[in-house]
Amino acid sequence: MDTEACRNDFIARSYVMATFELYRRSTIGMCLTETLDEMVQSGTLSPELAIQVLVQFDKSMTEALESQVKTKVTIKGHLHTYRFCDNVWTFILQDAMFKSEDRQENVSQVKIVACDSKLLTQ
Amino acid sequence: LPGSVLLLRETVGGGLMATTTSGVYIHVIEDVVSKVREEFINNGGPGESVLSELQGIWETKMMQAGVLSGPIDRSLVQRPTPGGGPLTHDLNVPYEGTEEYETPTAEMLFPPTPLPTPLPGTTDNSSLYNIPTGSSDYNTPGTENGSHASDVKEKPSTYMQPPSPWTNPRLDVNVAYEPERGNSNPQFTHDLYVPPSGKRKRDDSSAQYQNGGYIPQQDGASDAMPKAPLEGNAFGITFVSDRKVPRDVTCSSSNIPQVDGPMPDAYDEMLSTPNIYSYQGPAEDFNEARTPAPNEIQTSTPVAVQNDIIEDDEELLNEDDDDDELDDLESGEDMKTQHLVLAQFDKVTRTKSRWKCNLKDGIMHINDKDILFNKVKYVPPHI
Repeated sequence: MDTEACRNDFIARSYVMATFELYRRSTIGMCLTETLDEMVQSGTLSPELAIQVLVQFDKSMTEALESQVKTKVTIKGHLHTYRFCDNVWTFILQDAMFKSEDRQENVSQVKIVACDSKLLTQ
Repeated sequence: LPGSVLLLRETVGGGLMATTTSGVYIHVIEDVVSKVREEFINNGGPGESVLSELQGIWETKMMQAGVLSGPIDRSLVQRPTPGGGPLTHDLNVPYEGTEEYETPTAEMLFPPTPLPTPLPGTTDNSSLYNIPTGSSDYNTPGTENGSHASDVKEKPSTYMQPPSPWTNPRLDVNVAYEPERGNSNPQFTHDLYVPPSGKRKRDDSSAQYQNGGYIPQQDGASDAMPKAPLEGNAFGITFVSDRKVPRDVTCSSSNIPQVDGPMPDAYDEMLSTPNIYSYQGPAEDFNEARTPAPNEIQTSTPVAVQNDIIEDDEELLNEDDDDDELDDLESGEDMKTQHLVLAQFDKVTRTKSRWKCNLKDGIMHINDKDILFNKVKYVPPHI
């Protein structure tokens, strides 16, 4: 009834407003940001619209990772450094091994940045 | 497609789905473009052609970065993708981008001040408005070195800011609120040219702007300082033993690096952080200058990177107080291929020194490859 409708509305609105920006640091995110940079710089695009594109990218990327990707990976390594600040974990692993079902990667050092998945559903 | 791996898997609905990283990226691009199309076309937007241009440039950059295999077969991404097989990454040409990943938490939440100062004539023309609010120390002399614009793009995050130019540093960067997005925009399009402060002395530097790509820089007191002009991406650093004399940074490059503002005095720095830096004399060569450049240069004093010489008693901003280990990933690694994982965490627990982390929905960039994952479990080695 009214309470239910209000709750659904609240949930819907919360989901719409929150986005994770960390994927902008990925290759695809950086390419998009560079593209938007150029277009805003040249005056082709307004900064406001560029921001909207970036926010949409945040959503699309998050959704794609959730729905289109099914890879499971195991990481093993020595935890060299950890930091937790503002709901963001940052780890630095040394001598890390990334193992998925069909391949394995070894790196001497890797940085992991992880945001709280619960923030998106608040 | 040569050099790429494309797997076609049958989905439950009977359609085909591209399950490569490249395929997911194509899907994301298409999804973004289709969802912003209305904004571009309606409400006085720039139009469909601009949207197409955006998509074209985006895809081109990704192909250049080696994470997107062309020609792009869009028929694969039009189909619904309920579930599917495991993803494999693209075996494209090695990634040759020059991305730099920096810890988003520290820099994004607390941008260092004074803000990074580009050398004169070394404007990163492609992201002028990347300069966050509050900056008043940028010198953007315009197109004196037009050739630099394309060069400096190789370092999209030469400033200590994330590439997203419209991020309000004081917001929680992990949770961006759309209503607030637009508010921080206008400031970046303001006049970004700020005349050099009185602290700088560039009386003779402007004349040198005319010399093609050679842009030496001399800051602070115009004492006779040894210069070490270098070609390419390197820049020379001079250090003066008398700590009261400002340092100079001389740069000659077709790819003008980025250097930070005032740094703690070398002598004080060595006292406070004796184990991090080891001074090895002046005129060190560096392949790249980026913030926090001093922290990553293990063979030279960090203060020598200082560009904007402050001779008064401006407060030292303790830029190096942070643990450098989180910013310094240089040990044995190529500076251009920093291994990075961006993900969400479901749970992070610790029992004494044993950590267990459950991550999900992430993008890994390791060993020059982009790998996407749905679930990751970190298991520390048994001790």
